[in-house]
Amino acid sequence: MEIDPDVQMEDVVESQHLGLTEEDDLSDVSHDDYRATSMIPATAGVIAELSSQSRNQLDDWITRLTDCQPLSEDDVGRLCDMAKEVLQFEQNVQPVQAPVTICGDVHGQFHDLMELFKIGGPCPDTNYLFMGDYVDRGYYSVETVSYLVAMKVRYPNRLTILRGNHESRQITQVYGFYDECLRKYGNANVWKLFTDLFDYFPITALVENQIFCLHGGLSPMIETIDNIRELDRFQEVPHDGPMCDLLWSDPDDRGGWGMSPRGAGFTFGQDISEQFNHRNNLSLISRAHQLVMEGFSWSHEKQVVTIFSAPNYCYRCGNQAAIMEVDENLSNSFLQYDPCPRPGEPSVSRRTPDYFL
Amino acid sequence: MDSPKNVSPEELYPLALLMDELKNDDITLRLNAMHRLPTIAMALGAERTRVELVPFLEEVAQEDEDEVLTALAAELGSFVPYVGGPEFGHVLLPSLEALSCVEEPVVRDKAVESLNKICQTFNCAQVEEHFVSLVKKLASAEWFSNRVAATGLCASVISNVNPECQQYLLELFSELVKDDAPMVRRSAATKFPEIVAILPEIKFEGTIYNMFKFEASDDQDSVRLLAVDVLIAIAKKLKEQKQVIEPSSNTSSQYNSELISFAISLFDDKSWRVRYMAADRFESIASYLECDEMKQKFVTEFIKLLKDTEAEVRTAISKQIPGFCKHLTKEIILDEVIVNVEELSRDPSQHVRAALASEVAGLAPLLGKDMTIEHLLPTFLQMLKDEFPDVRLNIISKLHLVNDVIGIELLSQSLLPAISELAQDKQWRVRLAIIEYIPLLADQLGVKFFDKELGPLCMTWLWDSVYSIREAANANLKKLTKVFGVSWAKEEILPHIIVVGSDSNYLYRLTALFAVTALIPVVDEQVIQESILPFITELINDPIPNIRFNVAKSYRVLIESMCQQTTDTNDEPAVTNSNTITATGLGSNNDGHSTITYILTEAANELAEKVVIPNLSKLTTDADVDVRFFAQRSLEAVNAILHDEAMIPDQKI
Repeated sequence: MEIDPDVQMEDVVESQHLGLTEEDDLSDVSHDDYRATSMIPATAGVIAELSSQSRNQLDDWITRLTDCQPLSEDDVGRLCDMAKEVLQFEQNVQPVQAPVTICGDVHGQFHDLMELFKIGGPCPDTNYLFMGDYVDRGYYSVETVSYLVAMKVRYPNRLTILRGNHESRQITQVYGFYDECLRKYGNANVWKLFTDLFDYFPITALVENQIFCLHGGLSPMIETIDNIRELDRFQEVPHDGPMCDLLWSDPDDRGGWGMSPRGAGFTFGQDISEQFNHRNNLSLISRAHQLVMEGFSWSHEKQVVTIFSAPNYCYRCGNQAAIMEVDENLSNSFLQYDPCPRPGEPSVSRRTPDYFL
Repeated sequence: MDSPKNVSPEELYPLALLMDELKNDDITLRLNAMHRLPTIAMALGAERTRVELVPFLEEVAQEDEDEVLTALAAELGSFVPYVGGPEFGHVLLPSLEALSCVEEPVVRDKAVESLNKICQTFNCAQVEEHFVSLVKKLASAEWFSNRVAATGLCASVISNVNPECQQYLLELFSELVKDDAPMVRRSAATKFPEIVAILPEIKFEGTIYNMFKFEASDDQDSVRLLAVDVLIAIAKKLKEQKQVIEPSSNTSSQYNSELISFAISLFDDKSWRVRYMAADRFESIASYLECDEMKQKFVTEFIKLLKDTEAEVRTAISKQIPGFCKHLTKEIILDEVIVNVEELSRDPSQHVRAALASEVAGLAPLLGKDMTIEHLLPTFLQMLKDEFPDVRLNIISKLHLVNDVIGIELLSQSLLPAISELAQDKQWRVRLAIIEYIPLLADQLGVKFFDKELGPLCMTWLWDSVYSIREAANANLKKLTKVFGVSWAKEEILPHIIVVGSDSNYLYRLTALFAVTALIPVVDEQVIQESILPFITELINDPIPNIRFNVAKSYRVLIESMCQQTTDTNDEPAVTNSNTITATGLGSNNDGHSTITYILTEAANELAEKVVIPNLSKLTTDADVDVRFFAQRSLEAVNAILHDEAMIPDQKI
């Protein structure tokens, strides 16, 4: 596994922060506030078909967002309400049909997300599964997450969006999404709306009962897929326990379970992946969460694949991005791509910094 | 209006609320309060705004965070109407003066911007009364921030006062140009071109000359590089004046020689940043100083900059090549410039090569056909093989310039090997650029040559792993069919696509469906009936919903294309089967060009009734919601065409 130590270091800092501020951050908000209030059992129920009025509304929003124009605060409120209607019926292990194109972290790099659709084909013609981390780090978290949520509501069967460890109240306050909302809307309401919505996102997906998709990795407290189905996911990402691990863990070259340098989740070895896949009749674990220079990376003798879809991560890592196309016969192929060209930015390697002028 | 002393509590309310909010610890609340200032001012009325709100804001302007102060500075710029119009505008000046002296440039710039805005609303006498003293005060202040603010005000004040006052302010400005603090000199140098532009008439002597000379020889390179724009402004102004006085004269003006030697010293500057700036504006300097002496001396400078030690400078000057060469004769270009261009195409810096690649094609029209073939084409071919994709891409995207000069035939012959190679380039944007060039090549090469050399490539792109390439390949096939005709599409293209429709990978089936659908508007009815419709209908039971809803979309395209009539149509079958009905045309009928009318043909009607509508109806009961949606939408569109026949039988032709 190619891991950029720098980035992992940052994630370590991130998890340390998590640990340190645990008491402070939670002191003024009781844990119940983080729970989605209108809970409906996730097992039963069918998504109601959209009215033509909502469809037109969504199509308008999508057109607007495609040009990287954020929605108004009121519209975000309406969108999040509509999204809750859809997402509350999705399962902790959301079943997904092939063909589907599986994508990793996007991190607010909106223009690179548009590049992704240029490579993989537009939604809904192509089906997509995103494995979390839509916000933070990049400059366009608001537009990115608004776009994906709007597409999800408009085409619920064509798009699946999972929760990543950055779809959380605590992490977004440190890594940019909160500040971006404040900057773009003048208040934190939009941040509140979206982070409340994140509690509804499914945490894992299962493609044709074969490919198990999630943001982070496995948990020592989860042996079977059914264990995940029993979790109550409608809450802020906890600091430990099975739901936290699914969003935070990483595969490792060492066997067995290990302490994660991130401070949350675990590392798991090839033996763990093999057992899990065997026990659950899986052919592959597909996950994101870690920067990989080629955009995708196999580990554990092809039991696990890491996919990362933010090219030149943080606008400076120089990595390629990738997406994984899974066809109806469940054979997969990877498409790698580079950042989209940014018109208007000079091609000169070394610019005269403004402070010289 | 009540005097401030005996107002009722309700009337005090807006101001009290504002004060309260401005004391809040939360910066976003204070910011929002600032943005609400116009509302508060309107509630208070002009007099109370002057007497109470403005003095209060003056206090606020002394201390708060920069973000809040920036917002205040911005709001005050449009506050003149709220204090009772321009005659009372001066009450705003003390607050803005305080803000313009803040050290943080963002606040300062905003305050200066607002002051300038207010200055525009004042008449001449008001400006002289309030602004001249303000500029004087700021310019003579001890703290550099104030003097920087003064430089920002000079231009708008100078443009609004009498000539005598102008002269005085110009003297004041020239002191700022020579200020001890480099920050002030930089700021003055930035504003200098603006001032040159607004002065009614300038002579390159006296104050202006001294100021410019001082700047051009400043010991800070950050000031010298700003002198480049000043030089351009002066040269431009002088040229304009000359044209007014002696429009036919082409001789160099008395100041040109001097300006030329100044320009040369900037081109030769020891700091690369100054050379970069001068190189970046080489063409415009040259065009404003147009004369024989310039041509003679600038060529040497140009060559020197092309060989500069810094890649940035070479990049900047590369972009000036065609622009500057326009001023030169063909002989000089050949003798002096071309050799260096060849050398530059092998530059170690990829950025230099990329910049050159985007501009070098502009030389072709200047050189003419023979010279381009002899001297430019080799450079082109070499750059097409450059290892850096931007270089290849830039060359390709400017090929049309060369094409116009030497003709596509010659170009394509020399380019074919390169094109075949680039068609498989790793970078999909390079492949895309090539695809977009194909229809033009096809037109020139003719069917036989094309099929042999490029035909297979066009089919390969259809199955590219990148969606955008597949999409472009579809558009390409459509354009090629327009060039080569329907029978070509039927024999060379369709069979290859249709066979893929039964591939076991859905992506191939979907791509085949897209490709066939793209061809519908450019083929004839027979092909639609015999090949395309059966192919589409075959996919209606595909297990993949994405394919089924695209079948629904394709049906709509099919019926619409068969019935569509535009003003310049050449869709013959639709016209000859002339049992036609004008229908829909729901858009504006006034605009003749964009009006789309659907004329229902007998054949289309038959296809719709027998195949399309039954199949779409079937799809509207599909298990998948998206299939149902797109089927329903297509059904409505098709029905609209059929339906209108019954609705408006009078329009039968």
